[in-house]
Amino acid sequence: MTLLSTQGKIGTGILAIVIGIALYGTLLPDEAGRARVADPYAPPGAGLPLGADDLGRNLLDQLIVGAGTSLSLAFIVAMATTVLAALVGGAAGIGPRRLSATLMRGTDVMLVLPELILYILAAAFLGQSFGTRVAILALILWPVPARVLRAAVLTAWSRGHLEVARAMGAPRWWLLLRHGSYLIGPLLIPIFVRTAMRAVIYDATLSFLGLGDPTAPSWGTTLFWVQTNGVFLSDAWLWWALPPGAAITLTVLALALIGISVEERLNPALREATR
Amino acid sequence: MPWRYAAGRLTEYAAVLAVALTLNFALPRALPGGPLKLFGSPEALARLTSDERAQIATQYGFGKPLHEQFLDYLGGVFTLDLGTSLSDGRPVTEALGEALPWTLLLVGTSIVGTALVGVTFGVVGALRRRKGKGSGLLGTAIVLDSFPQFWLGMLLIVLFGVQLQLLPTFGVSGVEGVTVSGVLLHLILPVSTMTLTGMGYLFLYTRSSLLTVLTSEPIQHAHARGVPYGRLVRRHALRPALLPVHTILMMEIGFLAAGSIVVETVFAYPGLGRLTFDAITARDYPLMQGAFLVLTLMVVLMNALADATYPLLDPRARTGGHQ
Amino acid sequence: MTLSLRDLTVGYGGLTAVDRINLDVAEGEVVALVGESGCGKTSLARALLGLLPRTATVAGSALLGEEELAGRTDWKNVRGRQVAIVPQGAMTGLSPVHRIGAQLTEMLTLHGGRADPAELLERVGLQPAMLRCYPHELSGGQRQRVAIALALAGEPRLLIADEPTTGLDVITQRQVLALLAGLGTTMLVVSHDLTGLMPYADRVAVMYAGRLAEVRPARTLAAEHAHPYTAGLLTATPVADRQVPWGSIPGSASALDLLPHGCRFAARCPLATGRCTEEEPSLRTNGPAQVACHHHDKVTFPTVPRSVHAPGEPVVRASGVRHRYRTRSRTTEALRGVDLDIHAGEIVGLVGESGSGKSTLARIILGLLRPTHGRVEIAGEELTAQRGGALRRIQRRIGFVHQDPYDALHPGMRVASLVAEPLVTTGVARELRADRLRDAVSAAGLPVTEEFLRRFPGQLSGGQRQRVSIARALVAEPILLVADEATSMLDVSTRAGIATTLRTLAVDRALAVLFVTHDLGEAVQSCDRIAVLRHGTIVEHGPSADLAGAPAHSYTAQLLDAARTT
Repeated sequence: MTLLSTQGKIGTGILAIVIGIALYGTLLPDEAGRARVADPYAPPGAGLPLGADDLGRNLLDQLIVGAGTSLSLAFIVAMATTVLAALVGGAAGIGPRRLSATLMRGTDVMLVLPELILYILAAAFLGQSFGTRVAILALILWPVPARVLRAAVLTAWSRGHLEVARAMGAPRWWLLLRHGSYLIGPLLIPIFVRTAMRAVIYDATLSFLGLGDPTAPSWGTTLFWVQTNGVFLSDAWLWWALPPGAAITLTVLALALIGISVEERLNPALREATR
Repeated sequence: MPWRYAAGRLTEYAAVLAVALTLNFALPRALPGGPLKLFGSPEALARLTSDERAQIATQYGFGKPLHEQFLDYLGGVFTLDLGTSLSDGRPVTEALGEALPWTLLLVGTSIVGTALVGVTFGVVGALRRRKGKGSGLLGTAIVLDSFPQFWLGMLLIVLFGVQLQLLPTFGVSGVEGVTVSGVLLHLILPVSTMTLTGMGYLFLYTRSSLLTVLTSEPIQHAHARGVPYGRLVRRHALRPALLPVHTILMMEIGFLAAGSIVVETVFAYPGLGRLTFDAITARDYPLMQGAFLVLTLMVVLMNALADATYPLLDPRARTGGHQ
Repeated sequence: MTLSLRDLTVGYGGLTAVDRINLDVAEGEVVALVGESGCGKTSLARALLGLLPRTATVAGSALLGEEELAGRTDWKNVRGRQVAIVPQGAMTGLSPVHRIGAQLTEMLTLHGGRADPAELLERVGLQPAMLRCYPHELSGGQRQRVAIALALAGEPRLLIADEPTTGLDVITQRQVLALLAGLGTTMLVVSHDLTGLMPYADRVAVMYAGRLAEVRPARTLAAEHAHPYTAGLLTATPVADRQVPWGSIPGSASALDLLPHGCRFAARCPLATGRCTEEEPSLRTNGPAQVACHHHDKVTFPTVPRSVHAPGEPVVRASGVRHRYRTRSRTTEALRGVDLDIHAGEIVGLVGESGSGKSTLARIILGLLRPTHGRVEIAGEELTAQRGGALRRIQRRIGFVHQDPYDALHPGMRVASLVAEPLVTTGVARELRADRLRDAVSAAGLPVTEEFLRRFPGQLSGGQRQRVSIARALVAEPILLVADEATSMLDVSTRAGIATTLRTLAVDRALAVLFVTHDLGEAVQSCDRIAVLRHGTIVEHGPSADLAGAPAHSYTAQLLDAARTT
């Protein structure tokens, strides 16, 4: 148990730092990381702790602004996906039989289609603005959590105290707020966190393929330029490639640690076995 | 009733195919600026006269009603006519045909590698959970699971290609041309990237599944009947624990196929993924569309194959699964 | 002696679950170890196989021939070969991915058994053709038999059967017990079902709160028992005969950390005197029996009152109810045209085995399930025709007591809010709630104290939980109470108490009560009328006394046979 909470604490700590950096990024002027401020390929020096890229843009600024892009996208996508998954999963769990069957067949179909390929395909054709990316990701990521939530709703709806309340004429909102939230609410945390993780990775991958929003600095876009310029053949990868790469990995790791510690707390079998 | 099971699954895969084809048909037509954008860069399009525009529109049928366009599109897919690449004028099918075997090699090897490594370490991680080895594995898996594929690929290039100069990091062949040993050597880093990033989730899932099964009634009862621990794990716990893992492996197939786009780009590997990246960079939409279609089909087919093996693992799926 | 226990003690970090037990089992003898949940019988059984959790400590001695079992660490060649177990819930404990044949062969090879897998199956009364089956293709009773065959494979000197009949239908229960008794193996059967085991065991050992209360040959137990707890267990088991009274033991067993100093049963014993609370009685031999009690008097327990008044207006009218469950692969006909009336002030028993459709009917009457055909009227309003708000308005006049006392109460709510829940959801004014809450709590036989109302379900015993459920069902002043297997998960000593409460409520409040149960004996004891349901059809329907005295249908007769002890 202590090990789990340690994991969770480390994750929360890292995430807090990244959020802090992202908040600091909102204070920076609009052109931070976008404007040319130094010679192309400038190495780290005074005022430029991480040097500049091939267009002379400040790499540290790009890193800071990128944190905001990544986190806000991940947060909104995770929010939207969780809500969508809750709606679909809930409807499939307690809705009319025909609706439920249709939704589950649809979910099964969506599950087979590879998420990342769909994301790249859709972004390539529909555009790469922040809003479009959020919408596409939310529409792609819901099936897995919807399935988890449907199972949870089915289990919850067969639980004794909920059934008793239902049999004695409690209205639906009461069932949901008093009984359902207690049974299903905790499950939403790992779902939210896992979705945020996937959103960070997928969006970084999209930018890395050159399909990111060209006007907004992001970690993936920085690495796209690293790739096209063959930066890792020189020492420049240390200040150009390493920071954004490490930033993505650490952010995802933080989310993973939080998710795993919550999941292990929720799964009695795991809790038993790891004790 | 195994035929019922099979029929159900077949219908489902037919539906998946239909959705994949529809998406592939519809998305380019939802392109901001209209489907004409499919035929060149914005600058090239600006140079087209209105006559030329009209000609392209008639030639590709954009003037026709949508349902006729869809039928034409389906006809094209089934006759393997996916149009012409904008960048080099080759038929898209030809370009795809050249790239597909390389991707099959990469993705196939990676699936086998990921499954073996992920499941093996997952089992070890579950059995050694109280010892140092177990928590070390757990930590490694969580960290690896957090690496984006392109980033791990870059790090491997820097480490093994640039710093140690041990392994080739580019393409599938050296100066001596395409040889079996050369190709295998070139496969090491891309496959490692795929396997290392893919195994994390599989590891975590196998571990938790086995831990759950080890506390389940059949295992507790077998223990009570005097089955020794080693046999308990090998004969009794492993197979039930792998049932849910099998489902995860199917999702892993999609993950790895998508990974080919990224990994092939990083390692300049001449497969479908690299072709997709080049098509994206050149805004070569017909090629892009074709590559996506083939990648999706590949995932669906591999899933269907994996699915067909499920009843071998679970006797309940063979007899219809009631009770 | 095959097995001889001397001062066997099992502790869990300071708490003693099994306390200085002395018991012998002779070669070929079947000894039943009987007690309610928490009495330590399962800990004792598991200690004999080394299956206790790591935190447990075992002291004393348990000799199986020359082998010392207590505190043993190396169980190789002992577990399965010297002593084997039919574990609790064995029918869900077979490996789902191996054929029966493979599982038997594994046991035979592991434990050096000389029998043939087919022979083993024949010994437990199964066809050799089942060797090729997977567990999910067998019925519960068949799987239980396979589990017994697995335990026999190593030809153990001692067989331990841990609750071998839980989850089985009454008729199958008797068959499995008869099979076990006829094996001729030395056996320790651990069970909560005293009367069920009496015909099959040679001796019965009654355990209470970690100590043995009485050990006696099973033949003479019904007539000659001497310990008040044995008497309590016997009277608490409902007999399908209205002439035999059904009683309950007041209170509930004390928790392991609050064990009293003297006799552990003293707090619940009608005979208890000052000596009982000060001095612990030792297990004294008296002829073939051993008893641990200071007294020799006969004891009486409170019994369930019989109703003699005439029922009122009909409250429930179900007619022509059919229901069909559809899954992807097949359709199940759960109810095939059922008619049932329940009148005010009357308790109607709905009796059937699992799968008979009794729960489906209960759920239809509760409005949780819409029948495929037929109609249900509650006080003249057609429940089955309503949806949404109109349905809920009818449902608010029905009280529901769920089968599982541990799942039926929201673990995060206090007793007061649990009981008041129907008042809140039906929008009863806040100032009226407090009085009705207290009224319901006291009618359900619970203390109306601030301390009690503030408790969470985790701080209640099983019986108290079920009474909270009853209070909740009563609080909105229903006209119908549906009790779905309301006593099946409770300890036998508290069941009659719940039935008494239900009877009082039916009489005092003119409540119509639908009492769903699998136990015909309990229905005969607590209901006015009984409907016997089988395969979705009511096969027999009539006043309890008539039905118990002269069953018209052969199935009812079979059930009565199984419920009778002698």
